[in-house]
Amino acid sequence: MILTRPVAAAALLAAALLLGGCGSPAEKTTETGGGAPVKGGSVVFAVDTEPVSFDAHVSSQDITGTILRNVFDSLVSQDAEGEFQPWLAESWEVSDDLKTYTFKLRKDVKFTDGTPFDAEAVKVNFDRIHDPKTKSQLAASLLGPYTGTEVVDASTAKVSFSAPFAPFLQAASTAYLGFYSPKTIKENGDKLGAGGPAAVGTGPFVFSAYAKGQSADFTRNDAYAWAPKGAANTGAPYLDKLTVRFLPESSVRVGALTSGQIQLAAAVPPQDVQGVTGNAKLALDTQEFPGGNYSLYLNTSKPPLNDEKVRKAVQQGVNVDAGVKSLYFGQYKRAWSPLSPATEGYTNKLENSWPYDEAAANKLLDEAGWTTKDGDGYRTKDGKRLTINWPLLPAAYVKDKRDILGQAFQADLKKLGIEVQRPQDDIGTYIANVYGGKADIADYSWARSEPDVLWLLFNGASDPRKGGQNATFLADKDLTSWTDEGRATLDPAKRADVYGKVQERAIELGLVIPVYTPTAVIGRAKAVNGVAYDANAWPLFQGAWLAK
Amino acid sequence: MKTQAPARRARALRAGAARLAGVVAVLWGAATLAFLALALIPGDPVTILLGPFTTASQEIRDQIAADHGLDRPLHERYLAYLGRLVTGDLGESYQLQKPVSAVLGEAIGPTVALALTAVVLAVTIAIVSAVLTAGREGRLRGLATGWELIAVSLPSHWFGILLLTAFSFQLQLFPVVGGVGPQALVLPALTLALPIAGVLAQVLREGLEAALAQPFAVTARARGLSRRQVRLRHALRHAAAPLATLSGWLAGTLLGGAVIVETVFGRPGLGALALQSAMNKDMPVLIGIVLVSALVFVALSALIDAFHLLVDPRLRP
Repeated sequence: MILTRPVAAAALLAAALLLGGCGSPAEKTTETGGGAPVKGGSVVFAVDTEPVSFDAHVSSQDITGTILRNVFDSLVSQDAEGEFQPWLAESWEVSDDLKTYTFKLRKDVKFTDGTPFDAEAVKVNFDRIHDPKTKSQLAASLLGPYTGTEVVDASTAKVSFSAPFAPFLQAASTAYLGFYSPKTIKENGDKLGAGGPAAVGTGPFVFSAYAKGQSADFTRNDAYAWAPKGAANTGAPYLDKLTVRFLPESSVRVGALTSGQIQLAAAVPPQDVQGVTGNAKLALDTQEFPGGNYSLYLNTSKPPLNDEKVRKAVQQGVNVDAGVKSLYFGQYKRAWSPLSPATEGYTNKLENSWPYDEAAANKLLDEAGWTTKDGDGYRTKDGKRLTINWPLLPAAYVKDKRDILGQAFQADLKKLGIEVQRPQDDIGTYIANVYGGKADIADYSWARSEPDVLWLLFNGASDPRKGGQNATFLADKDLTSWTDEGRATLDPAKRADVYGKVQERAIELGLVIPVYTPTAVIGRAKAVNGVAYDANAWPLFQGAWLAK
Repeated sequence: MKTQAPARRARALRAGAARLAGVVAVLWGAATLAFLALALIPGDPVTILLGPFTTASQEIRDQIAADHGLDRPLHERYLAYLGRLVTGDLGESYQLQKPVSAVLGEAIGPTVALALTAVVLAVTIAIVSAVLTAGREGRLRGLATGWELIAVSLPSHWFGILLLTAFSFQLQLFPVVGGVGPQALVLPALTLALPIAGVLAQVLREGLEAALAQPFAVTARARGLSRRQVRLRHALRHAAAPLATLSGWLAGTLLGGAVIVETVFGRPGLGALALQSAMNKDMPVLIGIVLVSALVFVALSALIDAFHLLVDPRLRP
């Protein structure tokens, strides 16, 4: 659904991430405080949003995946090097045409309702996701061109696709393709969205209770013995209980953390960071989100931004550094590429390659013929003012104070003689204008642990008028063929090459103005040790323990 | 005498029927307005429902549209909707895979508890403040009118955080995390009650002062009643009547305040649900909340009429 940066699918390939010295997107564990893990205790983790639906197969919300990770395991896991490791599947084989994936499953795994996890469970779950009646908002797209699962024997499942589907292993590592017990699907299939004990998985915790508007409780699955390969804790979780508390108000979350009422607080806003770092009992865990940075996408399909010179002028004429620094107190990193540094395939070649340059921007605008000025000081050409339409999302959708950041950019562009209009309408009008190609600028981020996000953002087929997200409205031949090539190959060198070229060309054509890398900022009581962060920058509690 | 009783009964019946018709009209109007307001949002309803950031395929969009009847023309949807309403069926939430009545049922309890506690607190505070200071000069009165002004003008969002910071984060008297039980109700109810108390106290004081200046107050004093007895037994009753005119405002404040208070304190309830449904464009739930609110207004105005009869015998038939 809506308030999300769907953490979606996509391909694999670990080695590619080493490219360009970029950060690893994978699991990191917090310090262990020097001691050995202790069993027992309970922890409260306060988050800022509450899932609309707890059905992982239906929801596209980050928060749903984050929370359900506690009760769901996946076929494979993505490790610190970005490589895929055995989890519920002991091993797997991918056919040469990338159309068939055969998984050999562990035989000792049980759902928490006592039923065994087997190939039939894989089939039941994937079929349910694929069925349009499930109305999946994300998981179905993670399954791509799925055609079916064959139960070869109890511990062998063969998943087939109608076209080569390289992104499948990464997709299979997400909680959205996690497994409900077939028994609960049969008995509670239409109630899974409501959360609570009906959400039966194989994971380290049992979803024991849910109070809407309040909290979700998870208790230890004592039988848990199938952590992903490489996990620090191979057995059942140390914690007796994990409570996820929904506290939308950031000052309340931080206040509850600093006063010791909770142990972890998600989404600590930059202005509150000092309250956490200044407290000797607290630590701050920051993880850059992988995927698409928060960027402005320039609509090339109509004047004035159909002129590359004007686009480049806008790109160089906004002071990204100053805006990001002053608004986020240095907590979020300024971006140079549309791709987050925490993503495989990120290229560092773009860093510092297009600095703020007011003079250069003015020169470009002169060259583009916007040489005269009107009474209000705005540039004109043939009697028309240089005006850019950049709609604001309705207030409820605005995050990270992006509206205020936009005001800074608006002021920068005014200095160049460009008028920026920022109408704020209802969401229906916003979608109609921005996704219908009537606006000049769209701005968003798109978390996803895979460079294939560039396909979504720049491929010619990803037209927003047809459900895509390419708000540049440009079907550039190179961008399209490179992003197509990237998703159809398992060759790391090839992928690194094409995705690097995509990032450079998108900047060179002035299609995009990367602004900052969205960052998960979690405040944590130092007494909580062993919290790990996965490839999506989500916290994992299987190895967490509470110092006495 | 014998003919009077049936005539009175008939009058009462007629009044009752008129009242009922009024209720139905109000509910129908509210339902229709809510339906139209939501139906006339520009853009394709399924796209709005899913929001801009989604990768749902056309097939899934079609399924969602068909499931909720969004593919049918507006007038058909309206008639079907009214038909369901008549049978008490509020439809199914777009997002929660649950009947709206169940969703509302879960949310209504915590909000009622919050609102009732807030009203009791507000009325108590207002009465104490007004009775103590009406018709008097001096520092006490200055203090009372001062806090009332502050309570009325402060944004309750800020006020709630202030209370939390002082009593939960610093003094640790009340939990924000436990979230359930009477202890967790204190700060939210106080946040909701104080601005209401501020307004009520001002109105009540003015009424008290007017009543105390009336001849009956002097007569009562002459009969030997103490100042306090006059205030509590006679003047207060007079002063309470104008409060009734505030009932609509009160209901609005309670519902609107619940949105803010429930968000700040992370409480479940109608306010939090209204906010979430508005953000998720969960129209059936939103319409359900509108209808419940309309019902509350209607019920409240009936209660206030009864209250009028109670405090002012002249109105009784």
